[in-house]
Amino acid sequence: MATTPDPQRHDVVFEEPTGPLAVPGVGAVVESEFASVSVRLDQSGNSVRLRVEDLRTGRVRFLDALELESIVWLEDGHLTQLLDPSHERWRG
Amino acid sequence: MTALLPPEIEGGSRFDRLVQPARVHGSLYTDPSIFAEELRKIWHRTWVFVGHESEVPQPNDYVRKQLADQDVVMTRDKDGELHLLINRCAHRGLQVCDDKAGNSSSFRCPYHGWTYRNTGELLGYPYNKGYGGKNKLELGMGKVARVDSYHGFVFGSLAAEGPSLDEHLGAAKGEIDRLVGLSPDGQVKLDAGWLRHRTRSNWKFLAENETDGYHPQFVHGSIFGVTGSPIGALYSDNSTAVTRNLGDGHSENDLRPEFRSFAEPMRWFGTTPDRVPGYVAAMHEAYGDDAQRRMIEGAPHVMIFPNLFIAEIQVFNIQPVAVGECVQYATAVQMAGGHELNQRMVSQSIGSVGPAGMLLADDTEMYERNQRGVEMADPEWLDVRRGLGRESVDAAGFTIGAATDETGMRGFWTHYKSLMEAED
Amino acid sequence: MVTVNALTELPPRPDAGELVAIPQGWEVREVEQFLYREARLADENDYDGWEALWTNDALYWVPVDGEGDHPRSTVSVIFDNRNRISTRMKQVKTGKRYAQAPPSNLRRIIGNVELIGGRENAAGGVDLEVGANFMALESRPRGNELWGGRVTYRLRQVDGQIRLVYKKVVLVDNERPLPTLGFLI
Repeated sequence: MATTPDPQRHDVVFEEPTGPLAVPGVGAVVESEFASVSVRLDQSGNSVRLRVEDLRTGRVRFLDALELESIVWLEDGHLTQLLDPSHERWRG
Repeated sequence: MTALLPPEIEGGSRFDRLVQPARVHGSLYTDPSIFAEELRKIWHRTWVFVGHESEVPQPNDYVRKQLADQDVVMTRDKDGELHLLINRCAHRGLQVCDDKAGNSSSFRCPYHGWTYRNTGELLGYPYNKGYGGKNKLELGMGKVARVDSYHGFVFGSLAAEGPSLDEHLGAAKGEIDRLVGLSPDGQVKLDAGWLRHRTRSNWKFLAENETDGYHPQFVHGSIFGVTGSPIGALYSDNSTAVTRNLGDGHSENDLRPEFRSFAEPMRWFGTTPDRVPGYVAAMHEAYGDDAQRRMIEGAPHVMIFPNLFIAEIQVFNIQPVAVGECVQYATAVQMAGGHELNQRMVSQSIGSVGPAGMLLADDTEMYERNQRGVEMADPEWLDVRRGLGRESVDAAGFTIGAATDETGMRGFWTHYKSLMEAED
Repeated sequence: MVTVNALTELPPRPDAGELVAIPQGWEVREVEQFLYREARLADENDYDGWEALWTNDALYWVPVDGEGDHPRSTVSVIFDNRNRISTRMKQVKTGKRYAQAPPSNLRRIIGNVELIGGRENAAGGVDLEVGANFMALESRPRGNELWGGRVTYRLRQVDGQIRLVYKKVVLVDNERPLPTLGFLI
């Protein structure tokens, strides 16, 4: 495993988030009246990932860099489809 | 109780009898059936001030607002367009949004999970086989039919057809222009929050009072006296200020003749240029030779029919609740560039307006005593003839009266009558 | 573009920062007696007596929307410094402050009095911060109003007397339209 930092990569600081929107041990909370999720960087893997937790159910998903980049590039229409309750979570 | 019905007038409409050139009937303020008719013919039809674009600055911001009896959600969609959604789920009629404000591209009803874009479009519902699959329902959140804004002031009309906002505002646009022209970057914000003042009075007492130059020395004598305020003199019999009927129900107290005679910049704000040097410099930079005139003439004092009152540095949004109740929402004007005037405007507004305001609490006391008084049977009429015999027409063709005349009220009633006489 | 000067910068909000330990020399019973006296003076519209309780760095704050946003950049029902408290008292004493003429008939109950901590002041001293709940019944010619909420007081001993430095009143219903608030809450 390479020990020299890749100069192409950005420095990642694993600070516990602070401030009114941060919950210790959970991470920064992204919240509205419709949903409540925590986000934090996770370094237990070989690359850093984003750990996202649905705080209302406890369900967790990790999103890697490529997945996040794909979300950034998702067409709005595709993102909207994901918001349809029947799309996955309440399919039937 | 409701005042007695007025006498018949040969050949006139119902509102010919109730609204006469020199007097209006007490039942206009107390009759629940007239209030219900006002909701249909005025509040659900004409352009009503709802809020300001600066309350939803970012894409997908939303804020709950009131449009008469309707709970609406003002949203800015991802493309920046404004919408006024009626806060009601198309499924079972539940309120969709509960928070006062937020940021979300879509709204999910907590009852059964129906989900809407912030444009009101139905995006989906759980377990869609019960409806034969996805996209099977031609439903969505209700929408205020027309939404438009002028210098960021957002208005809604629940009627799909009718005069444009531009036509509705008419000459009142010039007053909003004056206000934003006091901001060095030509924009104001209404992002300092809102005071909400519950008022047990018919909304029309407020609309009439806002440009009534006859009351300040009486109702506000207590505060003018202890602060040595020069405002009282602006509304005296010697004042050169005029009351102007701007047409379309709008009216103003034009104080510029007084301020021009003093020719002191910032006098209108109760200060001097040396105390707000950054603002004065920014005004000169922005407007050059015209800056001095703007800072001498000051901000407008205008009532825009039916519910937007710009009182120099405060903005009021009046919303009716019932025939004898309304809410005054009030805030401080803020300069978009984040100016040294902003904190002063917040501080002055807190001192003046809202439930404990040293001006508006006394106005509100009058509104409420007025409501009780007009519930009495005799005399049945309210007199609005002050200055009728000394009105003139100014160079722009507007009817003007003296500083203390009821010219503005008469303009209000003329427009009111025309709207109430329209077909249901 | 002209650079905007320092007047646009906000000081910290008055309730920002950490509390320190409860300062020495305060007896709960004395504190309660002071709060009850302040309440009685307000209930009985004893404007001079009430005004005399305040220090010169007074702050009397009634926010909207829960604990309120920054009171210098957003509106509050009341945000009075010592000068404005004085103006407010002068206005009501004219007898023509119609929102309070005739004055409200009032009685309030203060409860759950709790010494919360110490608050460092600008002079380098430490004021006592006290929390309490209250309910007030107001009677006016057109009806009664029930008011309730949480009060945070800051108290200071000046020449052997307890004085009021800060009073923040968070009404339980301050997210909704409020009726006229003409009395001393």
